[in-house]
Amino acid sequence: MLPARTDFQALKARFIAAAGAVRAAREPSLSTAVPALDQLLGGGIPCGSVVTLEGFGSAGCRSIAAALLAQATSRGLGAIIDNGELYPPSLEAAGVRLDRLLIVPAGTPVGIARSVDMLLRSRTARVVVMGAATLRAAVWARLANLAQRAGAVLVVLGGRVAAELSAVATVCLTCRIERPVLQGTHGLWGVFAGFELRAELRKHKRAAGGGAAFMVSLSRLASMGN
Amino acid sequence: MILCVQTPNAALSVAAWQEILDALDAMTPLIEDVGVGTAFLDMYGADGDVASWSRTIRALLVPFVSEPRIGAGPNRFCARAAARHGNGTTIAPGEEAQMLAPMPLDALELEPDVVERLHLLGITTLGALAALPHGPFVRRFGSDAARWHDAARGVDRAPFIPRGHTMPIEAAMLGEGSAQSEAAVVFALRVLLGRICSDLERCGKRASALQLEIELENADTARVEVQLAAATSQEREMLDVLRAKLEGATFPAPISGLHLRALGLEEGGEPMPLLAGDEIDRASVAVTLARLEAMLGEPVRRAHTRAAHSLEERFSYEPFALPKRDPPGDVPAQPQLVPQLRLLAVTEIDVRLRRGEPAAIGHRVVQRCAGPWRIEEGWFASAVVRDEYDVQLEDGEICRIYRQGDHWYLRGSYD
Repeated sequence: MLPARTDFQALKARFIAAAGAVRAAREPSLSTAVPALDQLLGGGIPCGSVVTLEGFGSAGCRSIAAALLAQATSRGLGAIIDNGELYPPSLEAAGVRLDRLLIVPAGTPVGIARSVDMLLRSRTARVVVMGAATLRAAVWARLANLAQRAGAVLVVLGGRVAAELSAVATVCLTCRIERPVLQGTHGLWGVFAGFELRAELRKHKRAAGGGAAFMVSLSRLASMGN
Repeated sequence: MILCVQTPNAALSVAAWQEILDALDAMTPLIEDVGVGTAFLDMYGADGDVASWSRTIRALLVPFVSEPRIGAGPNRFCARAAARHGNGTTIAPGEEAQMLAPMPLDALELEPDVVERLHLLGITTLGALAALPHGPFVRRFGSDAARWHDAARGVDRAPFIPRGHTMPIEAAMLGEGSAQSEAAVVFALRVLLGRICSDLERCGKRASALQLEIELENADTARVEVQLAAATSQEREMLDVLRAKLEGATFPAPISGLHLRALGLEEGGEPMPLLAGDEIDRASVAVTLARLEAMLGEPVRRAHTRAAHSLEERFSYEPFALPKRDPPGDVPAQPQLVPQLRLLAVTEIDVRLRRGEPAAIGHRVVQRCAGPWRIEEGWFASAVVRDEYDVQLEDGEICRIYRQGDHWYLRGSYD
């Protein structure tokens, strides 16, 4: 007969309740992998929040989202709502553990909303990344509430997100690539190695200093998929 | 005590031998199958003595063989030597060396040339071999000689390896009325799961999948396969996943029968961190995955990467399964900001060239360009050759484009 799981859980609860117990540290915020941006955000993206990353075309939003997923999957699970644009090797290069990343194939706005609702309500994933679907204000408010209760980060990517979403978001960032970094010479011997990113903090509910802008420089060799 | 059962019929088929082993299960669950015709039964802790066990075995094997050879001893070698020496022979514990001494070397099942060498040295019985000094004998005959020397003295260090049982773990509820409400179905499922989990725990196993067959009053049958995110023997976890899977399902007629089967059986228990560890609540994840699959109509996936030339070949998807737990103490790596490629729907684009390189895409001027990188697929059949470029456009967008033949295509955008 196998030992009862309930007995084990009870023993574990006793250990955790004991003073000075060893337990996994849970960070109050997640790093964006850009020290200057973390500083501006007061330590990083706060857990239990909705974050919008806005920018058209090549803006660097997905790079920041991948950095957040990398931290989520280092100890737990992350999730991403896939609309067919996902390129997993890029995520892996950013440190995301693909075996701990739930890729949810939801296509319709209702499907996306229900999927994110389930993921947040069950506290399955620490970071959930989704595109800016067209949802009602009440739905965004519910998702924000669930993210807060679960201590998770809901990252919403989009060119320019709707006002309903901005209203409930904890952090709103607008990103733009200032200049790509070309390594080597032009043409066959050249390779895009990274970019200089400009991020503007438009809103931060939990910290002062909203509206600041700054520039960071990146340099990642041979990371762009060729 | 170990019993050795040998059947004299050399032409026994494998299927018939398996039936004999199944019949011997009535004696003890610990049976080692060493090949057609010979089996060892671990009788330690069983009631009775060798004589009564032998009588029972003969009665059990009447439909298969007329007169099985049975030997008993404190270990496998002694039991086999006893069976070989004479039907019904018993070597009592403590009398191994004495009983084995007069037996010929055949009991060791040696190669003929080894037997011949030993005979030349005047060694024809196990007692004579046991009397040899261990060290010089092993040096002269090799490392296997240590095992022969031990066996001749009645020592057998080889572990007893019981055969596996392939009994299906399943439970059914048929002919007990019909269910028209979800509550009635859930109640029936709980009863079936209780029986299955009890059997799983008794066997020390966990199931990683469930198969539910639903019989309807209109004689239709529906089959539901449920993959559990992690193998388990917990009734509650299985019920939650089954309920999630059945959420929203409708049937054209009341349910008249349920047949539940545990699949993908795995051995042993699950290591769980007591003091710290990862934050994955496996039971909760399993239920969430089942609910998502029921809602989306397809499973949640996870990605695999592999070395390949073309972008599309560098990854694949499979249904999500929970990873093994990490060993404690691993320090997570620092996050990195790495440009992410978005795979866009492949669309043909209008590209103008200057000195062989892309100069403009539509009305957007190319400011910088890296490439080309030649990708060649299926060269052994109908080769597909394409040249890929990364280009930075005047509006700041960085794109992955490629040329195939005379046509240009947009493949992705970096973000």
